[in-house]
Amino acid sequence: MKSRFYASAAVLALVASGATAQDLIFAPGEGAFTWDSYNAFAESVDLSGQTIEITGPWTGNEREKVDNVLAYFEAATGATVNYSGSDSFEQDIVISTRAGSAPNLAVFPQPGLAADMAAQGLLTPLAEGTADFVRENYAAGQSWVDLGTYADPDGNDQLYGLFYRVDLKSLVWYSPDAFDEMGYDIPETMEELKALTEQIVEDGGTPWCIGLGSGAATGWPATDWVEDMMLRLHEPEVYDDWVTNDLPFDDPAVIEAIDAFGWFVRNDDFVQGGAEAAATTDFRDSPAGLFQIPPSCYMHRQASFIPAFFPEGTEVGQDVDFFYFPAFEERDLGRPVLGAGTLFAITNPSEGAEAMIEFLKLPIAHELWMAQAGFLTAHAGVNLETYASDSERAQGEILADATTFRFDASDLMPGEIGAGAFWTGMVDFVTGADADDVARAIQSRWDAMR
Amino acid sequence: MDNIAGQNQGSKLAVNITVIILVLLWLLPTIGLFVSSFRDRDQISNSGWWQAPLAVDLNFRTRVAADNPREEGGSFILEGNVFADPALASSFPDATGTVSAYGTRAVAPGEFAAGEVSDLRAGGTAVVNSDGSYRIETPEALDRGPTIYFEARTPPKFTLANYRTVLFADGMDRAFINTLTVTIPATIIPILIAAFAAYALAWMDFPGRGLLIAAVVGLLVVPLQLALVPLLSLHTHIGIGQSFLGIWLAHTGFGLPLAVYLLRNYMVGLPRDIIESAKVDGATDFQIFVRIILPLSFPALASFAIFQFLWTWNDLLVAKVFLPSGSDSQVMTVKIADDLLGSRGGDWGILATAAFVSIAVPLVVFFTMQRYLVRGLLAGSVK
Amino acid sequence: MSPVFQGMLTIIIGVGGCVGYFYFSNMLLDKVIFPAKGPNTGRNINRANQVRPWLFLFPAMFALGLYLAYPVVGSFWRSLFDRSGANFIGLGNYIDLFSEGTFRTAVINNLLWVLFVPAMATFLGLLVAQLTDRLSWGNIAKSLIFMPMAISFVGASLIWKFVYSANPDIGIINSIRDAMGLAVLDPLQVRFWNNFFLMFILVWIQTGFAMVILSAALRGIPEETIEAAIIDGANPFQVFFKIKVPQIMGTIVVVWTTITILVLKVFDIVYTMTGGNFGTHILPSYMMTYMFRDDGRATAVAFVIMLLVLPVMIWNIRQARNEMR
Repeated sequence: MKSRFYASAAVLALVASGATAQDLIFAPGEGAFTWDSYNAFAESVDLSGQTIEITGPWTGNEREKVDNVLAYFEAATGATVNYSGSDSFEQDIVISTRAGSAPNLAVFPQPGLAADMAAQGLLTPLAEGTADFVRENYAAGQSWVDLGTYADPDGNDQLYGLFYRVDLKSLVWYSPDAFDEMGYDIPETMEELKALTEQIVEDGGTPWCIGLGSGAATGWPATDWVEDMMLRLHEPEVYDDWVTNDLPFDDPAVIEAIDAFGWFVRNDDFVQGGAEAAATTDFRDSPAGLFQIPPSCYMHRQASFIPAFFPEGTEVGQDVDFFYFPAFEERDLGRPVLGAGTLFAITNPSEGAEAMIEFLKLPIAHELWMAQAGFLTAHAGVNLETYASDSERAQGEILADATTFRFDASDLMPGEIGAGAFWTGMVDFVTGADADDVARAIQSRWDAMR
Repeated sequence: MDNIAGQNQGSKLAVNITVIILVLLWLLPTIGLFVSSFRDRDQISNSGWWQAPLAVDLNFRTRVAADNPREEGGSFILEGNVFADPALASSFPDATGTVSAYGTRAVAPGEFAAGEVSDLRAGGTAVVNSDGSYRIETPEALDRGPTIYFEARTPPKFTLANYRTVLFADGMDRAFINTLTVTIPATIIPILIAAFAAYALAWMDFPGRGLLIAAVVGLLVVPLQLALVPLLSLHTHIGIGQSFLGIWLAHTGFGLPLAVYLLRNYMVGLPRDIIESAKVDGATDFQIFVRIILPLSFPALASFAIFQFLWTWNDLLVAKVFLPSGSDSQVMTVKIADDLLGSRGGDWGILATAAFVSIAVPLVVFFTMQRYLVRGLLAGSVK
Repeated sequence: MSPVFQGMLTIIIGVGGCVGYFYFSNMLLDKVIFPAKGPNTGRNINRANQVRPWLFLFPAMFALGLYLAYPVVGSFWRSLFDRSGANFIGLGNYIDLFSEGTFRTAVINNLLWVLFVPAMATFLGLLVAQLTDRLSWGNIAKSLIFMPMAISFVGASLIWKFVYSANPDIGIINSIRDAMGLAVLDPLQVRFWNNFFLMFILVWIQTGFAMVILSAALRGIPEETIEAAIIDGANPFQVFFKIKVPQIMGTIVVVWTTITILVLKVFDIVYTMTGGNFGTHILPSYMMTYMFRDDGRATAVAFVIMLLVLPVMIWNIRQARNEMR
């Protein structure tokens, strides 16, 4: 009985892995994809029998998409790619590199963490010429090179990370039907956005859905708000100094940004369930209010990845749409955009790992995910027709129209701040603590690190 | 011995009621989880699990297709049935239902009673009848069909989809096997080692015995978090790294003090004359241990086995540190915490199911070994 | 190689190795080193018996030493260094910790946990054990109350989200409040008391453990003592508190200690329910925020945990000593 069970379990496992390797979701040679580069890659690289381990933050739905992309790599090279996603990727990667069981490649959502690990000698620099490639082939290439370049243990700057997938953060999601029915217009400036917020309350509605819950990472969505506010209140240079702590966290400039976020979140009328509920509502649950009938909120500020968490069958562009989180007219700071992205870095060098980086340089690696939706890229060589929808093309335009593009500050700060004190500080702030106190506490944590 | 519980009818009733209340209190959260595991995500966020067996009024939206309007007397007419919308097929599988009210704005989905004719904001009229058929009349052809909201009673609905997802699609099978691979050796090895040590500490005479017992008791309270960092370095150093072997050793080390402590307590309580007469007959300590002590201690061994099994089965921390993070070696707790709680944080149904699946095996183990528990653990310390 | 096969192989190697070790080392001792024959039979048997306890003890002592004693020493040493591990800073980590508000909250919360959870779980376990003792459906009741033991902490946290959720459509507390016309409130954000809400989850899990063991102990009490008390006119409460409880005191202490030890290891509940926010951090969860970022701090926190249970430890050693006499 027992052995029979084991045997059937093993067969099951075999069948499952066999199936994923064969399933290519887009038939090779068809569609708007850049197949030429793929075919050339497939001919020049043969990795039969090799296994490539990748660890990253994508789980569930997103994991399926990345698996679909990697299936093309497997088909082209004959290698086996094992991608595993974890919600606590940040801890897992540190533990596994220390234990000497690092995967070949890791997908970092936080350049700060990658920089830490590079400084400890746990990452391998990318092949020479990669920097030039990125500079030439990525939109605003130099900035992506800079974001992937860290000091090695000897203090020399090297390129460690290749960006694959960009998230646009300065987006507000809304239901076009609801706006239409209530006669609301899309706000063009922050002043209008605030006026709209008040207008909705006057009409008896609740303007915002905000959810900061994310298990042990509770609080991070609030850091995006504050970062967006920083970019809308101050020059980008102030933002850069804030990231490196040349501008202390308790500087009035930062406190002003926290308070600007507070204007939205700390008003019980403005937030679904009240300010307190925002702190515990899971960020993945929070957009649900947009889709309820009657709607329990009208707007949700969240990055471009959030449609993955919309109810099943939701069509972006029809059931839900987005607008640019606007800037203050009075500040005259242009159209700043906050973004983030994930980068591939080699944690355990192998021929397969190098080949994977080469694969990710191909436009098709980006197009394959673009076509599955929920993916933006800075790669300029991709065929824009492969974007799954007009709305994602429109997000690409927001990126292109940006007068200022800045990377998510909390992802650039050291882990204890950007993935620790900043998160918990924001939860304290949302639940009633003073912006001054919160900022001071975060700064003192930063001071205590040295 | 009919004391407290049996004084009179009144107190018997009181005892029964108290126990019923306690049991219900204990059971309630689990029932919620159980019921939720058979519901889909939308149901869970729309009504509490306690309402699951009841039919509920829910609001729905349907987008009327604007193509091919029928022109009739100068106005354009769109006709159809709201229940025919394929997007609502999961709620109305046979495309029929009863509309109690409808509306044309999301804020007031039940503004008009079924059959009542209402004015459209863009001009024209709309009506939705209780059987779901609608008729929209506009003076001009619409380029975008209006959205109709309606209220309809939906029967209670339970689904096995969550179980299908968890059991077959998400690599949970692998996690299940991994969990077994971790727990079985991590249960057997410490018991075996601890049994020998416990026997030595209970029945063999040697200098330093008291000191060793004190040391074991002392180590009982070492928080295992303390050991994680140095041990991971050690494992890396000697080449074990993050692996199943590493986690077995770790669970063995962490489980030992309690095992030794409890088993020694039990063995001390075994009748002295049996052991001494065996010695007189010329049996060696090894023979005494194998032939007398082990069979006699079986209840204690079994009960410790249950507890150690439950602890290793449900462990998250040790697994996170001593096993690689890849899906090849994820155990179920890690799978739930990192993968399911992460990517499907909003999907309560999937989560509930995953939790239930992970409970199943320990419950089976518990119910099959329950009788040893009752006699088990502490017969020795009850003196 | 399939993990199933690997697992079975290692079970066989591991278990077989252990059995083999005990069997062959004994044989070696009796037959080769100190053979119980020839001119020195008597002396050899004595010598063999002097060595044998150590044969029995060796694997356990080795594992305990390696997995518990060595880390204690090692981590204490590590906690005296800064985050890079290169610079000796004495008690710097401890001083920094105690100057941090969150840490002080975590210490206080942890004390509450250590006091409340074992006490409550033991008390409820004893109560259930006593009440179900003579009940016709006692075993069913016990099984149901034991069930949470089988649930992982992560699963338990999930279950309790259905109780505590601030959304009245999901959390039962808020749905009751909603039905009674009270404002919705988030139980996990009620300062101070939220700690107890979290603790109750652990009590809910551990009561079954206490109940099972205590009910076995209650059944082990000789009936004569109870009958004698009843004849002397003692009422049920007197019988329970004056006769039964003192007799099973040893078991109560063991249960209490075991749960206390468990409390010091549980970070999962806080970690998944609140992430340590709203003033609910306890030391194990607080330690997780430093773990693998700043080992010096993390080990220092672990040592504070250890200091917290020092009284329990000393008391237990004393107890064991008394038993020996």
